[in-house]
Amino acid sequence: MEPRTTVEIADRNSRRRAVIVAAGAIVFVIGQVMGRTEFRDTTDTGLYLSRSIMWTVNVILLLAFLATGGGLLTRREIRELVNDEVSRLNYKTSVVAGFWVAMTTALGIYLIPGLDHLSGRQAVYVVITSSVAVASIAFSYLELRAHRDA
Amino acid sequence: MHSQLINRLREERARRNLTQAELATMVGVSRKTINTVENGVFIPSTVLALQLARALGTSVESVFQLRK
Repeated sequence: MEPRTTVEIADRNSRRRAVIVAAGAIVFVIGQVMGRTEFRDTTDTGLYLSRSIMWTVNVILLLAFLATGGGLLTRREIRELVNDEVSRLNYKTSVVAGFWVAMTTALGIYLIPGLDHLSGRQAVYVVITSSVAVASIAFSYLELRAHRDA
Repeated sequence: MHSQLINRLREERARRNLTQAELATMVGVSRKTINTVENGVFIPSTVLALQLARALGTSVESVFQLRK
């Protein structure tokens, strides 16, 4: 059934956003596990460059979606409903989760002896990939939970 | 949910035969907000608690209370 009221449209958009963020994060993680952008042979400069660009675009899209709520194209009143108190709290919670994953990953890279051969670029890649993925998945999980009826 | 908080939003809404979407429209929030408050997932701000009580035509204390 097509939503009619502002609340119904906001409800639909909010659910869609949660699913889109979850799907985007899963595709991002799978892409990085399969592609291992920074851990492949870099002799093929073109391939390496295209993978790096894809990774950067993915990260920026996920971060932009998290930061703006993904609703810049909708009407203001709908956007305000989609990014209500609950969503703002979910955003903060997921960003905090991402922050702690970034700190833990960075500490692990710094302290674990077997990882001291990583280049700065590789370390940044691992920290950003893990923290952005966790923040995005946490946000979509919290949003989907908020929509679930008791 | 906070262990000290008693939340009667669902009962108060049902007593007035309002759906979550209808109450959300009256208050100017999303249905998700009403749902999470009722489920105890989210503790509303003071402003939202006052808005909910006003929309239901009752006091905040009749919707939200602390355990004794």
